[in-house]
Amino acid sequence: MSRVYKFLDERLNLTPLIRSIADHEVPEHADPSKHVSAFMYCFGGIAFFILLLQALTGVFLMLYYVPSPEDAYASVNYIENETAFGGFIRGIHRVGTTAAVVMVSLHMLRVVLTGSYRKPRELNWIAGIFLLLLVAGSCFTGYLLPWDQKAYWATTVGVNMVASIPLAGGFLADALRGGSEVGALTLVRFFVIHVMFLPAFLVIFLAAHFFMVRRQGISRPL
Amino acid sequence: METDSPSGGRDRSFFYPHQMFFECMTALAVLAVLVALSFVWQAPLEEMADPGDVTYVPRPEWYFLFYFQLLKYFEGPLTVVGTCVLPALVFVLLLLLPFLDKGETVDVRKRPVAAAVCLAVAFSVAGLTAVSILEDERHGYRMVLPPITGEQIAEGQDLFRRFCQSCHGMDGKGGFFAPDLTQIGSRTNRAYIERVILQPQIVSQTTIMSLVPLSDTERHAVSAYLSRKK
Ligand code: HEC
Ligand code: HEM
Repeated sequence: MSRVYKFLDERLNLTPLIRSIADHEVPEHADPSKHVSAFMYCFGGIAFFILLLQALTGVFLMLYYVPSPEDAYASVNYIENETAFGGFIRGIHRVGTTAAVVMVSLHMLRVVLTGSYRKPRELNWIAGIFLLLLVAGSCFTGYLLPWDQKAYWATTVGVNMVASIPLAGGFLADALRGGSEVGALTLVRFFVIHVMFLPAFLVIFLAAHFFMVRRQGISRPL
Repeated sequence: METDSPSGGRDRSFFYPHQMFFECMTALAVLAVLVALSFVWQAPLEEMADPGDVTYVPRPEWYFLFYFQLLKYFEGPLTVVGTCVLPALVFVLLLLLPFLDKGETVDVRKRPVAAAVCLAVAFSVAGLTAVSILEDERHGYRMVLPPITGEQIAEGQDLFRRFCQSCHGMDGKGGFFAPDLTQIGSRTNRAYIERVILQPQIVSQTTIMSLVPLSDTERHAVSAYLSRKK
C-alpha cells in the first residue's frame, strides 16, 4: 500500500491534495464520539451516501430498462422477476427514494434548528434548496418509468397540475409531455430527465454545496 | 474563519481517519437498514398502464401526499392558489429565510418565531399526510379487499336485489333510472365499485344515486358480486 502510494506520490505530488481534503479538523460539537447530539450533523452525509447508492443501483437498472410504452413495463417486470438480483437492486432503488427524502428533510430540519443558514452560509442554504427540488424532481420523474397504472395516472395528474399554472402552464405541460397526452414521448422525456438532466444538476449543486461546507466549516452552536 | 479555529489541546480530532471511520460505519449501517427495508416493502409493480381506464385513481408516493391533500382544499378557480401561488410563496420564503431570520443566537429556545414557524410547517405536513392517508382508507383507494368467495357473491346478489335493483337494471330486471349493471365487471374494477357505493358523487356531481348505508362486509359482498358480472 505505502509503496503504491509512494510511487504515485512521486509522480503526481498527491500529498498536498490529500492533506487539504483529509486534514481538516472536526469541531467538537459535530464529533459523534464526543456528543451524541452530533449525530444530527451526519444527516447530510447520509443523504449523500444514499444518493450514491441511487446512482449505483440506477446504473444497473438501466442495463435492462427500455423507455418505450411497449417495453418499459415488460423490462421492469423482467428486472424484477427474471434477472439475478434484479428485484433486489430495484427494491433498494425504490426504498432509496424514500430514504433520500427522509434524510434530506432531517438534514434541512437540523440546519434550521441550529440556525446554520445565517451569515456566512446563506448561499449554501440556497444551494440546498435547489438540491431539495432536484431530489423531489428525481422522485417525480422516476415514478413514471415502470409504466404501470399508478405511474401513468400519477404522472397525468402531476402534469395537469403544471398545466394549471397561468400563462406558461399549457406550454410547460406540453413540453413535459411532448404533446397533449402522456405517451411515448413523455416516457422518453422523463427517462432522460431522470437519468441525465437531474443527475447532472445534482452533481453541480452538490459540488457547490460541499465546496462551501469546506470553505466555511460547520457552523458552531452559540 | 472563526469556525476553523482549533479548539486547542490534545483533544482535537481530524477528518481522517477519525471522522472517516464514523462515516464508514454509518454508511454500512444505512446500507444494512435499506437492504432490510427493501425486503419488507417490496417495490410495487401494478398492472401495465392503460390510458383508456379513466376509473383508475392514482395515489402519489407518501412524501407527496401532503401536497395532494392541500390541493383538495383549493378547487375550481382557486386551483391556481394551490398549484402555483402557494408553492411559489414557500419557495421564495425558503430562499429568503437566512435574510429574514438574522441575529446572533442560534439556540432554538431563544428564537421563538423561527421555532414556531418550523414546528407549524412540520406539523402541517405531518397532519396533511395523516388526513390524506385516512381519507384514502375511507374512500377505498388503499382498500385491502378480501378475496372473493362464492358465499360473498350470493350475499352480494341478495343485497343488490334489496338495495340497488330499484334503480339499476340487472339481467333484464330492475329499474330504469340508472345504468344497467349487467356487464359492470368488464367495464370497471372492484375498487371502483366500492368507491361508487361509498361516495356516489364520484360518478357525477349531480347523481341521484343515493348513499346506501352498507356495512364493510356487505359492501365487499356487493362489490364482489358486481365485479364478477362480465
Ligand atoms: C336512487 C337510485 C339508485 C340506487 C338505489 C343505486 N344507484 Fe347506483 N347509480 C344510480 C345512478 C343514477 C347512476 C348513474 C350515475 C349518474 O350519472 O348520475 C348510478 C351509478 C352506479 C354505478 C356506476 C356505473 C358506471 O357505469 O360507472 C355503480 C357501480 C352503481 N351505481 C352501483 C350501485 C350499487 C352497488 C347500489 C346499491 C348499493 C346502487 N348503485 C344503488 C342510481 C342508483
Ligand atoms: C441532496 C441533498 C443534500 C446533501 C447530500 C447535503 C449534504 C450536506 C453535508 C454533507 C453537509 C455537512 C454537514 C452535515 O452533514 O450536516 C451539509 C451542510 C449544509 N447543508 Fe446540505 N445537503 C443536502 C441538501 C440540503 C438542503 C435541502 C439544505 C437546505 C435547504 C441544505 C443546507 C445546508 C447548509 C446550510 C449546510 C451548512 C450547515 C452548517 O454549516 O452547519 N442542504 N450538507
